[in-house]
Amino acid sequence: MDPSLPLIAPGLTPDFHAPDFYPEVCEPLEEVAAARPADASTALAFALSRLARNEVGDDPRPWVMATTPLWLRERGRPFARGLAGMGAAPERLIWIRAAKEAEALWALEEALKSGAVAGGVVTAEQPAFVMTRRLDFAARAGGARGVVLRAGPALDLSAARMRWRIASAPSAKGEFDEAAPGPARIAVELVRRRAGPPGSWILEQDDEAGGFRVVAGLAGHGLADAGAERSGRPAATTSAAAA
Amino acid sequence: MTLHALNEAARAAGLYRGQSHADACAILPALLSAPAEPERDLAMLKRLALWAERFSPSVAIDARAPGYEGLLIDTTGGDHLFGGEAALLAEIRARLARAGIPARLAIADTPAAAWALARFTAAEDVIAPSGRTRDAIAGLPVEGLRLEPEALVLLKRFGLRQIGDLYGLPRAGLARRFRGPAGLRVVERLDQALGVLGETLTPERPPPAYRIWSPFAEPLTDMAGVDFHLPRLMRPLCVQLAQAGQGARRLSLIGFRVDGRTTAIEAALSAPSAAAEHLVRLLREKGLEHLDLGFGIDAMMLAVGVAEPLDARQPALAPAKTRNEVGRISIPPPMGEGDRPKGGGEGLAATLAHGPEAPSVASRQRPQRGSNSAMGAPAFGPESEDAEALAALIDRLQAKLGEGVVLRPLAVESWIPERSETWTPAGPEAAPAAFDLGRDRPVLLLERPEPVGISAAELPDGAPRQFTWRRVQRRVVKAEGPERLSPEWWRPNTASPKPVRTRDYYRLEDEEGRRYWLFREGLYAREDLETEPGTGKELERHPTWWMHGVFP
Repeated sequence: MDPSLPLIAPGLTPDFHAPDFYPEVCEPLEEVAAARPADASTALAFALSRLARNEVGDDPRPWVMATTPLWLRERGRPFARGLAGMGAAPERLIWIRAAKEAEALWALEEALKSGAVAGGVVTAEQPAFVMTRRLDFAARAGGARGVVLRAGPALDLSAARMRWRIASAPSAKGEFDEAAPGPARIAVELVRRRAGPPGSWILEQDDEAGGFRVVAGLAGHGLADAGAERSGRPAATTSAAAA
Repeated sequence: MTLHALNEAARAAGLYRGQSHADACAILPALLSAPAEPERDLAMLKRLALWAERFSPSVAIDARAPGYEGLLIDTTGGDHLFGGEAALLAEIRARLARAGIPARLAIADTPAAAWALARFTAAEDVIAPSGRTRDAIAGLPVEGLRLEPEALVLLKRFGLRQIGDLYGLPRAGLARRFRGPAGLRVVERLDQALGVLGETLTPERPPPAYRIWSPFAEPLTDMAGVDFHLPRLMRPLCVQLAQAGQGARRLSLIGFRVDGRTTAIEAALSAPSAAAEHLVRLLREKGLEHLDLGFGIDAMMLAVGVAEPLDARQPALAPAKTRNEVGRISIPPPMGEGDRPKGGGEGLAATLAHGPEAPSVASRQRPQRGSNSAMGAPAFGPESEDAEALAALIDRLQAKLGEGVVLRPLAVESWIPERSETWTPAGPEAAPAAFDLGRDRPVLLLERPEPVGISAAELPDGAPRQFTWRRVQRRVVKAEGPERLSPEWWRPNTASPKPVRTRDYYRLEDEEGRRYWLFREGLYAREDLETEPGTGKELERHPTWWMHGVFP
């Protein structure tokens, strides 16, 4: 098991394969799909936080984002100041403004394979299975992490080791202002997973560390309760305890 | 209508340039003529100039005198490569003849003398022996001095018909005979022809810093041949670069076609490199199929347009540690066998002291770091090795996807979101200013704000309760704001004549939990009053609402 896993609170030994344990470690290739096209921005933020929460976050190598013109037109371009809030270092970002989806996928494959980048995100509508397989190989060859970001539901085959479906959720209660949106919450669903069972969680934006953490019910620093809603038993600690 | 250019047969019939078309038709009723196209002539001449770079890196177009256009090739120090001046002339003539281009050639000490000899001697190929220019051009008509028509008329009136007639005349008196600067020009041209006064050539293209070329006995007609010869040409070039401590930043592969044209592909590098493998791969990925070989190319040239000093790097003293050992799984290097230049690519790399190595993954996974430091990627440690791998990656992405596609952000001091960062071409050296933590900024910014229709608001200048964006009506549940961004009055607004307006940004959350970044442009205040041009009547500009991004 990867040594970068979160610290364990005393008295609790998490079962890493329990259905409600949130897998913190990013696999070589993952797929993050927005439940609906309007959630694309949420999906990107989740993908970045997954990259940043793992070794990519401490890696001095740059990370890559390859976009298609369709994505730029519909969802906008990366905004460096906002990326900083997700824990993704914008000064290490290399943005590839590809003209075609095939070019974007090719660019990410080359980048992952080169070993010069820590990780990368590519926006794709319908990546072919062979292409995802190539990305998986490239990521493993280069010691990098890759995420295929999709703006729509993903029902086709993919070589990604984890396939996520992301939707926005009503935000938490604001700390100072009830009428204002509080920390952002998202509903993530692990649809398919190669090594382990699927699951679903509610994550909350972590302002201190950047990125997302599993929603904690008790004063924001205790045990998770979101998984309990589903399976009826309390789950493992959050990474917030480790952060 | 006058005659602009004539072929051999027309000249033989007694027609001449500048003759009126009616006269010419009267002399030669069977005359075939077409409208002159000087632009196309010039374009053709330019193409020929690029082709003539095979003889010398410095080729200039001489199109000052209409009707006497030609090329000036600086062969100084280069004729021995072709076996002497006579052999060079013969080669040029043979190549031009094969391309179907008639020509008159001359070699002389000065451009002016060569110009005159090529145009005003009976022989087709003339070589003025070095140091004997004075005698060689003495018998030529004064037209050979590239003078204005008025000056020529005056010279003829004086009875000065040959260039040699001017040698003995007192120079001050000669200059005084003409009105204005024309007299000085006569003396100047004479001095230029005799080499007393220098004359600079302006090459059509700046001579490349480094170049290497090789002719082929038989023209290459297919890509396989070019592909085969590319590494063989690249290796000596890279040795030459490495010896000079230089790396290529801009590299072009030029093919000289048998029909007197050139075809080229060019690649730009993000960091100087003298690694043959990387450069070959870059050109291959740029696409050798973009070379238009036509009927074949009989010579190939590699030219380094821009070269920069390579950073001197010390070979690694200790085996560099491989980072991310956990996540890295050993698989064979991703480069296929076909990607490697055939025949001794490794041996070449060993001769190079510097330069990035493209398949860096392969080198990282080799266990003995110290022993392969001579293989082409010596470095201090992982950082510089990473930088080299990154430079190679960026080069390849740029070569394939085009320039201005691989970008990195630069922070700009501005509050206006779309102005607060610029995107510049990425390079391996990364040290831009840090970005402040944008807690209330979305990860994606719409390329241009999209209009939003507000259907309900509690107060005219408060947050909206309901809005329509992209034809979907959304009810606001939570709202935060405004964050007021005043216009930057110190920045001139060149985009539109209207005054820039204040923006109030709101964070809104709808029923489904999506969070939006909306702004209202303009205030319900004097800022929005503007006067109608002409009448001076005050017009009101209503504040407008815009969507600028979606929060996670």
